[in-house]
Amino acid sequence: MSNIVKFKIGMASCGIAAGGEAVLEALKNATTLPIAEVGCIGHCYAEPLVEVCLADGTSVMYGNVKADEKSIQNILALGESGRFEIPAVRKEKELLKVLALAGRIVPTVLDDYIANGGYDGLKKALTMKPEEVINEVKLSGLRGRGGGGFPTGMKWSFLAAKPGFDKTVICNADEGDPGAFMDRSLMESVPHQVLEGMLIAAYATGASRLVIYCRAEYPLAIKHLKIAIAQINEAKLNIFGDRTVEISIKEGAGAFVCGEETALIASLEGQRGMPRFRPPFPTDRGYQDKPTMINNVETFGNIPVILRDGGETFAATGSEGGKGTKLFALAGDLKYPGLVEVPMGTTLNEIVFEIGGADREHVKAVQTGGPSGGCIPVELFDTPVDYDSLRTLGAIMGSGGMIVIGKDRCMVETARYFLDFTHRESCGKCTFCRVGTTRMYETLERIVAGKGCEADLELLEDLGKKIKAGSLCGLGQTAPNPVLATLRFYKDEYLEHVNEHKCRALQCNALVDIALNKDKCVKCKICLKTCPVNAISADFEIDPEICTRCNSCLDSCPKHAITRVAKGDK
Amino acid sequence: MKKEYDFLKTIPADPGNLIKGLQLLQATEGYISEDGIRAAAEYFNRPEADVEGVVSFYAQFKRVKPGRYRISVCDGTACHLKGAPLIHEWLHQELGLKPGETDADGIFSLETVACLGCCSLAPVISVNGKVHGKLDRKTMMKILKEYAAK
Amino acid sequence: MSIEFFLDGKAVTAQPGQTIMDVARANGINIPGLCGEKRISKTTSCFVCVVKDKKTGKFLPSCSAMPGAGQEIEVTTPEVLEMRRTALNLLLSEHNGDCEAPCTLACPAHAAVEEYVRAAGNGDFENALKIIKERIPMPITVGRVCPRFCEKQCRRNIDGEPVAINEFKRLAADMCYDTYMEELPELTGKRAAIVGGGPAGLAAAYYLRLKGIQPVIFEQMPFAGGMTRYGIPEYRLPKALLDKEIAHFEKMGIEFSFNQKLGSNLALEDLKSEFDAVIIAIGCWQASGMRCEGEELATPGIDFLRNAVENNCVAPNPGKVLVVGGGNTAMDCLRTSVRLGSKEVYCIYRRSEAEMPAEKIEIHEAKEEGVNFQFLTAPVKLEKRNGRLVLTCQKMVLGEPDASGRRKPVPEAGSDFEIEADTVIAAIGQKTAAPAGIPVDRYGCFAAGEDGVSAGNGLYGAGDCVSGAATVVEALASGRQAAMAAARDLLGIPMEEENPINVSRGKWQELTRDELVILRDDLSAAPREQLSFIPLEERKTTFKEVTATISVEQLAKEGKRCIECSCSDKTECKLRKFAGESGCKVDAYSGIRQSASYDVRHPEIIQDRGKCIKCGVCVKICKEVVNKSLLSLQKRGFASCIGTAFNQGLPDSCRECGECINACPTGALDWRKKR
Repeated sequence: MSNIVKFKIGMASCGIAAGGEAVLEALKNATTLPIAEVGCIGHCYAEPLVEVCLADGTSVMYGNVKADEKSIQNILALGESGRFEIPAVRKEKELLKVLALAGRIVPTVLDDYIANGGYDGLKKALTMKPEEVINEVKLSGLRGRGGGGFPTGMKWSFLAAKPGFDKTVICNADEGDPGAFMDRSLMESVPHQVLEGMLIAAYATGASRLVIYCRAEYPLAIKHLKIAIAQINEAKLNIFGDRTVEISIKEGAGAFVCGEETALIASLEGQRGMPRFRPPFPTDRGYQDKPTMINNVETFGNIPVILRDGGETFAATGSEGGKGTKLFALAGDLKYPGLVEVPMGTTLNEIVFEIGGADREHVKAVQTGGPSGGCIPVELFDTPVDYDSLRTLGAIMGSGGMIVIGKDRCMVETARYFLDFTHRESCGKCTFCRVGTTRMYETLERIVAGKGCEADLELLEDLGKKIKAGSLCGLGQTAPNPVLATLRFYKDEYLEHVNEHKCRALQCNALVDIALNKDKCVKCKICLKTCPVNAISADFEIDPEICTRCNSCLDSCPKHAITRVAKGDK
Repeated sequence: MKKEYDFLKTIPADPGNLIKGLQLLQATEGYISEDGIRAAAEYFNRPEADVEGVVSFYAQFKRVKPGRYRISVCDGTACHLKGAPLIHEWLHQELGLKPGETDADGIFSLETVACLGCCSLAPVISVNGKVHGKLDRKTMMKILKEYAAK
Repeated sequence: MSIEFFLDGKAVTAQPGQTIMDVARANGINIPGLCGEKRISKTTSCFVCVVKDKKTGKFLPSCSAMPGAGQEIEVTTPEVLEMRRTALNLLLSEHNGDCEAPCTLACPAHAAVEEYVRAAGNGDFENALKIIKERIPMPITVGRVCPRFCEKQCRRNIDGEPVAINEFKRLAADMCYDTYMEELPELTGKRAAIVGGGPAGLAAAYYLRLKGIQPVIFEQMPFAGGMTRYGIPEYRLPKALLDKEIAHFEKMGIEFSFNQKLGSNLALEDLKSEFDAVIIAIGCWQASGMRCEGEELATPGIDFLRNAVENNCVAPNPGKVLVVGGGNTAMDCLRTSVRLGSKEVYCIYRRSEAEMPAEKIEIHEAKEEGVNFQFLTAPVKLEKRNGRLVLTCQKMVLGEPDASGRRKPVPEAGSDFEIEADTVIAAIGQKTAAPAGIPVDRYGCFAAGEDGVSAGNGLYGAGDCVSGAATVVEALASGRQAAMAAARDLLGIPMEEENPINVSRGKWQELTRDELVILRDDLSAAPREQLSFIPLEERKTTFKEVTATISVEQLAKEGKRCIECSCSDKTECKLRKFAGESGCKVDAYSGIRQSASYDVRHPEIIQDRGKCIKCGVCVKICKEVVNKSLLSLQKRGFASCIGTAFNQGLPDSCRECGECINACPTGALDWRKKR
């Protein structure tokens, strides 16, 4: 026990959601040693995580910690059970540059960041001329991490070219893609790193206003950013000679389309978040009609690394289609969901199977880029992940959400899910997006309900292409992607739905019955009690008219005698 | 402006601060009332119709009073794959609520949210902002019972 | 500084500030667009105005995009037109309204029902008659004998009974027919021969004359009118009134030549060489047989009716009468038999009453007059025994529905029975007996081309001889069509195409009362005005007209029952106009439509949200031009709509402005009162 100098506990959103608060409380009651509430190290599957720092500088980690006496005592005694080791493959494949400090420092302590090399990038930038800073960013080959992939240095130079200092740099922290949490994790775990990137941008482009537009759904990130901003003001890190940069944070109010830059600006100005026609581009007329530039959280997170290591060093990592590293939020059907950072160009095989620990036999596809992206079938997992390779497959890098889809998921239903999202998130301005995505969604609804026909597939393809071509902003221009991509790679599943009224994944409820195998059944009647709609009779017959396919009985059956089967099968 | 909305004055009365003001209104009152819209329109110098347009655009703003416990079911991709539709089904069976509704006693209200960013714990719900992850039917029913008993 | 770029390959110059659409317009290319409005900031919403940048392959909204130097813009390529059509089709698919009223759409002649009902209801009978005659040149006749397609689709059926639409025609015609005279254009020197002086031929002549073409009607009978004279009995259409109606055609300078029968004393070749166009409108004058043994012993229904007419309704008592058939001709034969003094009149029909093609009112009135109906009864054999006719019949049962959707009658084994009678009338149907030289199809009907009337080389067909036996109003519509086609071919006058775009809220059978859109404050809740009948005894013994024309007072009341379903903006609506021009289809995409909720709280302005295209032009006009900001875009996505604060509706003061109404591309915002 005497070996222990302090504890670190993961208290990012994932840690808290997994029960971190109770563990922290229990630990506090059990020890007087310092306990640091740190961010996320990316191994979300193992939360709550407690790291025990030893006097010799090494540490021992415990995963899936429970708040009970036994678990806590085990940790205090440095017991063998419950120890957490980072899987060796992941250690080998991962390259922590942007995330180097995530989960290792206390996000709300400025000194902790500075002591670990924080603000070295800014210091170095301030010794350079603004155009030299921009050149360094150009040299790094960094491309926007928000999805578009526009060269960051170039973007900066556009804003820098505008005269005066009445300019704004905005950090787009409206991480709206369902299934993506890279930005949340960065802001929660290393808020100063993001702000350092923004300050460097302000210096390089001559902006005197920094605005962070953050989702209101990320209260912890907002809290940490607010603390960090106060610390920056206090430490005067935002004063470059005679110029003071004003930093503010504004909370979004729940609109996916606000990830689009003109919509984001409208929202910042207190308007409905509706995109407008460009030109004028924001660099000419943006926030409050002043020249404005928008970068994403992860993009800013890369900037201190570039300044510290130099653009050339940064560019040495990655592939032709993208430089540096990329964060991915891994989720779905895999063993190790969490946040990973790998060099650009790492293959999907490496990310999904080696790092994510997904079962090769079980994986069908991976969905990248959220509702704007596409899916990539497992057969193409040797694709290197960078901007250009993904685009050729009809997918996009997007912001980095990566959902692994197992063989028991229906691709038509997956496409329907995404269209459900986008058609509801459409701002309603453009005809193609507003009405077109609704018509596509309705068509997919028909198909999963077993009421589609082959002509529906043609309609989806034709309308999808037109929506992409006839929409003002990225939402409409990409909304059909999940449908077009699944139509490209999984047309057979669509055809089965429309021609045979069959869902091979047994996911589409309208095409599925619940069957009870009487040979396996031990007549324990648990299913009868569980069924919320009383669809199971006393002699264990399931009435398909009453049954809602809610799966309650499947989960409750101790003998696994109840299964989903194709409609009409017994 | 009615006196009870004086708290808006903590925000500069710039028309661009409307959303911030509405967020404060909702945090204070639990939802956006008609009086709240009038107050915000007056304070931020925006036409009332305009304010209504902004309120109705953003998913965050509620025009009806929510229940004591606001259940937000995450329908992010990971949660959807891992059973968000079933969670809706269970909640509907248990509470008789559909998204956007509040029960008659004003205890629970239900909404769907795009993504809570806790994808690794899918499926998740949040109750008054507290996230509950890795749900199955049993754990969810237990959570509901706990809140109902409070 | 001006720049040069290319529109469909043609070099054009753009002045600073000009959009691609501006430049196109300056160069004579009109790009359709719904949401562009010069006085306000860009809305860029409808995407109907898209053009394509050839180099980047991107589609650009031309209302907002400024041209770049040297840019090659495609404006009218098939791909661009297809994108535009799709945008319009998508807008149509969410559009919830009625362009034309259902009555007008149901009318074979496409008469402007709502308009003439309003005019006559307001007492402006002259104007009402003018509107009616634009489509129906025989209003006296149609006002009496029409089976009222319009009324069957009238939305007031939801309340039980439709507006008595046909009475508006009847009264307007009865009041003003004598004094009304069309403005006749000068004759062009072109002449058209019309074979057949029935409604189709008369209508063709009427509309030809209105185009300056001199019509000459060749009629086989000694009087004009065709089936309206020789088929429709006096008690439904008094011949004196028909004479009056036809006299007007002569007043217009239409020439008639009687007792001229094509194929006997009239040769098609002569007509062709003598006239610039020949319109065949010879009707269906050949009765079909009963298709049973001894059918030749039966009197054909149309012969029976003609006989009554030719004898001025004093034909001999036919004794006990059996009329075989269930159509309107059968009803006419039955009721004529009653009036000729027969005390035993039977209708023999092989299906049940529900399947009977005759009008319900005709069946009802026949029953009132004592006709005995034998349903599910079919003739098997007709023979003459002891000076009387004996019809052997068999009972039928209804089986599966046939191609017409009606249940097919099947004989019941061993159910044969005999009925004795003095007269057996076969009112089964009629066919065209086309003389040699007339092109016919496999049914023996005049073979017309795609437009339904043209056969080429200056030959046209119209009316029953093209369609098979139908109604007067259908014959009139067909005659008009033939006249328009001839005018097109002879004078190069383009056919007045109906706008093919007719969005509908739905048939009344699918709607509830709450879904009706009612703009007028003074909509009457009263039941339908009833016509007065002459006493039953008088009906049975004389050929006097059965009903009296409705009174002016009654009609005014009835006019207030009209919901006025059509869109107030139907002639101005840009969506309808461009969709019509672009070859759109209202059902290209199906799915949920916008809710039909509408707001009539303002005394003079209607907000009909179902018709909104969400372009937001009204919002910007109110904000940027009028400086009021009473409207805003609300919600988002498919549900987005234009609304007011707290859904309070527009203030009364808005009546002074109307800017948003002028700017609205559709009828979503409009003045409430129709002209």
